[in-house]
Amino acid sequence: MSKTIFNNIEELPGDALFAIKQRLAEDSRTFKVDLGIGAYRDESGKPWVLPAVRKAESLIHADPSFNHEYLGIAGLPALTSGAAKVILGEDSPALAEKRVVSSQSLSGTGALHIAAKFINKFLPGRPVYVSDPTWANHVSIFESQGVKTVTYPYWDAATKTLNLDGFIKAIESSPRGSIFLLHACAHNPTGLDPSEAQWEEILDACVKNDIIPLFDSAYQGFASGSLAKDAFAVRLGVKLFAETAPIFICQSFAKNVGMYGERCGCIHLIVPKQDSSVNVTAITKALGSQISKITRSEVSNPPAYGAKIVAKVLNDAELTQQWHQDMITMSQRITKMRRTLSDKLVALKTPGNWDHIVNQCGMFSYTGLTKEMVQRLEKEHGVYMVASGRASIAGLNDQNVDHVANAINEVVRHYSNESSKL
Amino acid sequence: MRVPSKSGLSALLRVTKAPADKILGLTAKFNVDLHPNKINLTVGIYKDNNGRVTTFPSVASAQSMLDSSLDLNNDLSYLPITGSQDYQDNVLNFLYRESSNGHELLEDNRITFVQTLSGTGALAVASKLLATFVSKVVWIPNPSWANHANVFQWNGFNQIKYYTYYENGKLDIDKWLKELKDNYSSADPGWPSSIVLHACCHNPTGVDPTIEQWKQILPVIHDLGIIPIVDMAYQGMESGDLMKDAYLLRMCLEYEWPNGLFVCQSFAKNMGLYGERVGSLSVVVPPQPKELKNNIDSQLKKIVRGIYSSPPGYGSRVANLVLSNPALKQQWFTDVKGMSDRLWNIRVEMHKRLNWPSLIDFKTQHGMFYFTGLNPYQVQILQEQYGIYLTQDGRMSLSGVNSSNVDYLCESLHQVVE
Repeated sequence: MSKTIFNNIEELPGDALFAIKQRLAEDSRTFKVDLGIGAYRDESGKPWVLPAVRKAESLIHADPSFNHEYLGIAGLPALTSGAAKVILGEDSPALAEKRVVSSQSLSGTGALHIAAKFINKFLPGRPVYVSDPTWANHVSIFESQGVKTVTYPYWDAATKTLNLDGFIKAIESSPRGSIFLLHACAHNPTGLDPSEAQWEEILDACVKNDIIPLFDSAYQGFASGSLAKDAFAVRLGVKLFAETAPIFICQSFAKNVGMYGERCGCIHLIVPKQDSSVNVTAITKALGSQISKITRSEVSNPPAYGAKIVAKVLNDAELTQQWHQDMITMSQRITKMRRTLSDKLVALKTPGNWDHIVNQCGMFSYTGLTKEMVQRLEKEHGVYMVASGRASIAGLNDQNVDHVANAINEVVRHYSNESSKL
Repeated sequence: MRVPSKSGLSALLRVTKAPADKILGLTAKFNVDLHPNKINLTVGIYKDNNGRVTTFPSVASAQSMLDSSLDLNNDLSYLPITGSQDYQDNVLNFLYRESSNGHELLEDNRITFVQTLSGTGALAVASKLLATFVSKVVWIPNPSWANHANVFQWNGFNQIKYYTYYENGKLDIDKWLKELKDNYSSADPGWPSSIVLHACCHNPTGVDPTIEQWKQILPVIHDLGIIPIVDMAYQGMESGDLMKDAYLLRMCLEYEWPNGLFVCQSFAKNMGLYGERVGSLSVVVPPQPKELKNNIDSQLKKIVRGIYSSPPGYGSRVANLVLSNPALKQQWFTDVKGMSDRLWNIRVEMHKRLNWPSLIDFKTQHGMFYFTGLNPYQVQILQEQYGIYLTQDGRMSLSGVNSSNVDYLCESLHQVVE
């Protein structure tokens, strides 16, 4: 009998980020600081709905044609076409040459998942190279679909800088046709991005070694306040690979439009230019149909509400303007908090060098704090961050930055005193 | 000059065009059809007598409450992986306290729950869990919703088997049960089969077993150790009474299912939240061992985290408000009744013009869909010459019929059948 058939299912450890959220909710201390999950907070520590989004919402609700009818399987066309222009640029040759296939996804995760299923089916056996370290969910998204992942060197812990040589060597020694997952900007979790010159080197090496790039673009415009600046690597990639290989782009509007829980994003596949004998339209149609098949089997069609908001923001000139301003607001506040935290640590003469906090960008800083220090931060000071030492800078504000700086100072001294005693 | 290389591309050229989705592809075709009297009877979306997709009064009220309340709508933050706790509590209450007598199961902590992307999302998550640990063969009725096979195929199942459901214009329960029994001996006892059961308003036929027939069916499924997956997409649309329509859930709860009872439920149709993707997967797990529920919970979380991280918020906030506010809930019950009444009235009006008794055979004919029995050729003629779109299997979505097109529709059907 199959009475006991379920008994061998093992309980998995909880997801680290969502577990932090739970511990925070259960922590009864009055003063606690959430530097865990990657969501923007305003100066008072509250979630911030972008003014552009608020306006888009009221326009949508006021529209008599607003309803809840199903979107098509590939999503809302006004969203997917607008999103392609955001990431590739209005004047992108790839768009003009109709080499782009776009489909709506459940934010970045959904796009990556579609890419994983697609790779498993059509590029079987090819590994996906991910940076060491990378977003915790990257590996499981691919591995759960039977796609092997391999890490490439990225973060040099000793110098807290990019290990460019190791990165390039990994590209050169990988099997031709391998897939490299590249963080388009605001690398998660380190916050450390290659410079523009370093991107040139990296992408050149990718072209020479016939790599298929997969860009994860989760923070465009959020990192620097400029869409074009944050899309530098993607757009350079699209240019360099125009003759040689396809490109996957997984795009999220969670952070830059604040659509977090509404699950809005897109997957774009850029097909390289073909000989005149090859029908590009037939290829893009085929690709689109296969992506639709995947979507249909898991969610049928993507959620409408977030898509309508983002489409409104992208297609209404006034709202687009407001959105650009909103991204500047967010990125400037984060830059300011980086500077403040770093200055305070320097003023406290906390052992170590804290320049990297300022040099990194986006939502996160890889502080370099050890696992033990992170535990002590939580236990003794009510400051929560991921065990890897990744802190979400968005959780800092004028009211808590002193507390956090003092707390970091205390835990760093605590452990350096201990080690000096040994 | 860079050295161009095309090996990355040549692999991609293996991608061939997948056939357009059978149902949603038709709407694309309909939209560009120039026929002056065209009628789209393909997709299962409710439309009012003016042919418009409307928002239920209960849902519209919930929306404006959300819009005007900073407490309810103050951020768009991520929901937990398995959805918001409020939504979970309210949906479980609705399904297992109000729609059925499963309150003891809730009190004993025997129901695991995931907020899903409507019914499809629930089926996909259930399929991944089952295929990983429990079952790799699934029985689907023939015919069934076109996407059922696709969902199970793409989410880990090795084999899709079809049980005879509707043949020559009627249900064939005996044949169905015989097929299940005949296949039992060849099944791997360590990997039991699963079976998809439409809770009511069978899609595409609109024909359901009677209560008496279910009393014959369930014991056989139970005896054979087959795992029931109840697909409840149309609760309330059979009788107009949400509670009444949960009869299959209630009947299933009369049994202990050693490998779990999987309930895939959707608010797409009965709350009109289609595109917002609101639904749930609940699994009633066996009472022992105690850690089983937590284990399954944790695996379901891992599955969701790998597909889309966390579910979309807006639709679930709306549904949650409708379920938790007594006035809105009452209004919702009225809304569902109104929808069901209109669909029934369409059947009556069509029957007046066509004299097709099966249209108004309430004992077995339910819901938004009516299976015309037209063959693919007739369906094609109807589409090409009359601009009337049915799915290829002859399924007609009655919601697209209204007082301004019913005459033309019936006249055309008459012509094609002649």
